[in-house]
Amino acid sequence: MLVIVTENAPPRLRGRLAVWLLEIRAGVYIGSPSKRLREFIWNQVLEGVEDGNAVMAWNTNTESGYDFLTVGKNRRVPVDFDGLRLVSFKPLDEPDKAL
Amino acid sequence: MLPPLKPIAMKERISMIFIEYGEIDVLDGAFVVIDKTGVRTHIPIGSIACIMLEPGTRVSHRAAALAARVGTLLVWVGEAGVRLYASGQPGGARSDRLLYQAKLALDDQARLKVVRKMYELRFGEKPPERRSVEQLRGIEGARVKKTYENLAKRYGVQWCGRRYDPSEWDTSDVPNTCLSAATACLYGITEAAILAAGYAPAVGFIHTGKPQSFVYDIADIVKFETVVPVAFQIAAKNPPQSQAERLVRLACRDVFRESKLLGKIIPMIEEVLSAGEIEPPKPAPEAVAPAIDDGKPLGDAGHRH
Repeated sequence: MLVIVTENAPPRLRGRLAVWLLEIRAGVYIGSPSKRLREFIWNQVLEGVEDGNAVMAWNTNTESGYDFLTVGKNRRVPVDFDGLRLVSFKPLDEPDKAL
Repeated sequence: MLPPLKPIAMKERISMIFIEYGEIDVLDGAFVVIDKTGVRTHIPIGSIACIMLEPGTRVSHRAAALAARVGTLLVWVGEAGVRLYASGQPGGARSDRLLYQAKLALDDQARLKVVRKMYELRFGEKPPERRSVEQLRGIEGARVKKTYENLAKRYGVQWCGRRYDPSEWDTSDVPNTCLSAATACLYGITEAAILAAGYAPAVGFIHTGKPQSFVYDIADIVKFETVVPVAFQIAAKNPPQSQAERLVRLACRDVFRESKLLGKIIPMIEEVLSAGEIEPPKPAPEAVAPAIDDGKPLGDAGHRH
């Protein structure tokens, strides 16, 4: 199972993703491609995302059962907790101005 | 209205998360760590067996309440994740299970059977017949010493025996630091599992006199096939003390997943206790059952629902 969520992505990338995946909501794509196809699709995202941002999540045999990749600027950034990947949510202001 | 929160079963959870620093609070009903720059990190509290809180954390009342509601053990730890204090449901939540465990521990015959089962599971063979608990402990001690030496040799680690002083952490050598960090991880999830199964961590069979006696009993069964080799493996790379803990935790997480420990540990507790061959006590006929039925639980027997 694979999920890609795009935000502010150019229409040509969204069209491209819909070639292999199902767009179930605006910018949300699902599918169950092989590892090779997954890497191929992610490469398309990297090439086509421009000023937008995207995240791709898929199931793995890690402890959490999934992994994900991100591209582009987003307030949510991945963090590593001793091997477990979580997400930090940045405040709106510059981090050093808050508090 | 959202339906009320319920704990999920231990086997469906991730082993542990260490939180190093930050204020832990609840935002919109979710468990969040907020660092001093305002960065928020959501912790999926309900799908974790235990949260290890390191010295730089502060926990709010609401966060602790949420952890309790979803049946997640909070463990306050010191250096290398060594446990200081935990809040789950200390003492357990099921009187029938507590009485069963206590009955087994109080009956010399049953206790010996339980101890023999523990050694059998641990060493993969039945211990010699007609030995007392003390004699079995002696056999175990010698075997453990040998196992440490063998593992040290296999991974090429210089080993001068299991030595550590919790009050003087920095004086411990790298293999001992790795071992302490690794066993701390195992003890954390074992305590969470014992509480989830509805038993008391303090009522031990081989170990006694500590709030976690039963935790050590159960953890020892799997310790030498899971976290101890991991500790030696990391120690063999001779990492700097500051990195040793992180590497050990990463490796522990892997070994917990590979061995499917969280799925096995509660059935193992039941297996060990059933070796005592005592019927779990029935409630007294005149006792009053709960007035309100809580519906079908998603979690384990010892979880509050």
